Amino acid sequence: MLSEIFRNLRKDFRVEFRNRAAINISIAFAGITTLAISLTAGGVSFSPRVQSIMLWIIMFFSAMNGLAHIFIREEEERTSLFLRLNSSLESVFLSKLLFNFIFFLILQVVICPLYIFFLQVDVKSPLLFLLILVSGGIAISSSTTILGAMVSKAGGKGSLFTVISFPILLPVLWIAITSTTDALEKRASAGFGNTLFFLAFSGVIISISFLLFKYIWVE
Amino acid sequence: MTDTNFEIRADSLSKRFNKTLLFKGLSFSIKTGNSLSLTGPNGSGKSTLMQILAYIQKPTRGSVTFFQNEKKLEENDINRYIGFTSPLLNPYEELTGYENIYFVLRNKKDEAKILPLMEEFLLIKHKDKSLKYYSSGMKQRLKFICAVINDPPILFFDEPGTNLDRKGKDLIYSYIESVKKEKIIVIATNEEEEIRLCREDIKIAQ
Repeated sequence: MLSEIFRNLRKDFRVEFRNRAAINISIAFAGITTLAISLTAGGVSFSPRVQSIMLWIIMFFSAMNGLAHIFIREEEERTSLFLRLNSSLESVFLSKLLFNFIFFLILQVVICPLYIFFLQVDVKSPLLFLLILVSGGIAISSSTTILGAMVSKAGGKGSLFTVISFPILLPVLWIAITSTTDALEKRASAGFGNTLFFLAFSGVIISISFLLFKYIWVE
Repeated sequence: MTDTNFEIRADSLSKRFNKTLLFKGLSFSIKTGNSLSLTGPNGSGKSTLMQILAYIQKPTRGSVTFFQNEKKLEENDINRYIGFTSPLLNPYEELTGYENIYFVLRNKKDEAKILPLMEEFLLIKHKDKSLKYYSSGMKQRLKFICAVINDPPILFFDEPGTNLDRKGKDLIYSYIESVKKEKIIVIATNEEEEIRLCREDIKIAQ
């Protein structure tokens, strides 16, 4: 199964990079939003809480287009039957999940340095900041993978995906914002515990998604 | 003749889409070495029946069971034993012909089988072209290669001659002719030539 997961993952990256629609749009959206905020702020310095809120809002909306795309593309281009006939359902789910982890990570690599530079963010606890970014990214991408599968089967587009994702991701965003504020202000005590919350949340979501995937994607 | 025998048993199959009943109470079985055509007017449910047989769709009533040497196969394992082509099946447009076949290949040690098959089905010159640049006939031949590359014991072909010129049809028909004694072949079609390739026929009335 491992080889099938990596085969599917390689195929998804190849298709995405040759098509470039989702990745380019998401990266462009992220870059433009970060620039727009920094330009309109006009040198005003925001509190760490506001900086955290803006950072996660930019990441959330930048990622929404791409995270759902990986499943929606299979339906729009009518390749889902081809994929289904040639892969086990488990490998399809796990490869799409891995794709979304990596995709979110790429977005974070683009957004965070730009954001820190343009908004002159002072990260007082870089380790916590990094941990929150990675674990929060895992939590968001694991929830959105199964939601992407649902939206693709409902014939929906990205906007529907954002609408249904938001209430599910609200607790993740809330805790991510609070923990990022901690990292910016060097209040590490609760922050490290929150990374565990994200990992536990992801574990539960991935387990449930894994069990439900067959019924969502096939039946 | 292979030592492994496969059998597909369809039991009281019915399919209904909302209020439209496509077929009802279809029961039959087909074993290795036998070939079956599914014929009927447009909209009668030939393709639907084929998809039900290949576990792609579920019947409204009834069941399909696969056996290998009289031992029932698990539903999750069925894909390993079947090759399937259909107008509904779309390979990846962004990948090349070769990459699509490689994607389908279960045992990567068999990579050496790809080029001879592409040569046989006249796609060798186009192996590195993205599918965006393939004609519909070339795509049909590529889908056929994808169905047979793993040498599955059960082959489902939904209108295999679609979009093919005379030469393309001859290639595909002669391939089916050459393997039909050692496999189960099911063809959904209304083409006389394709019906003649099969030993048995199920007519689905509308």
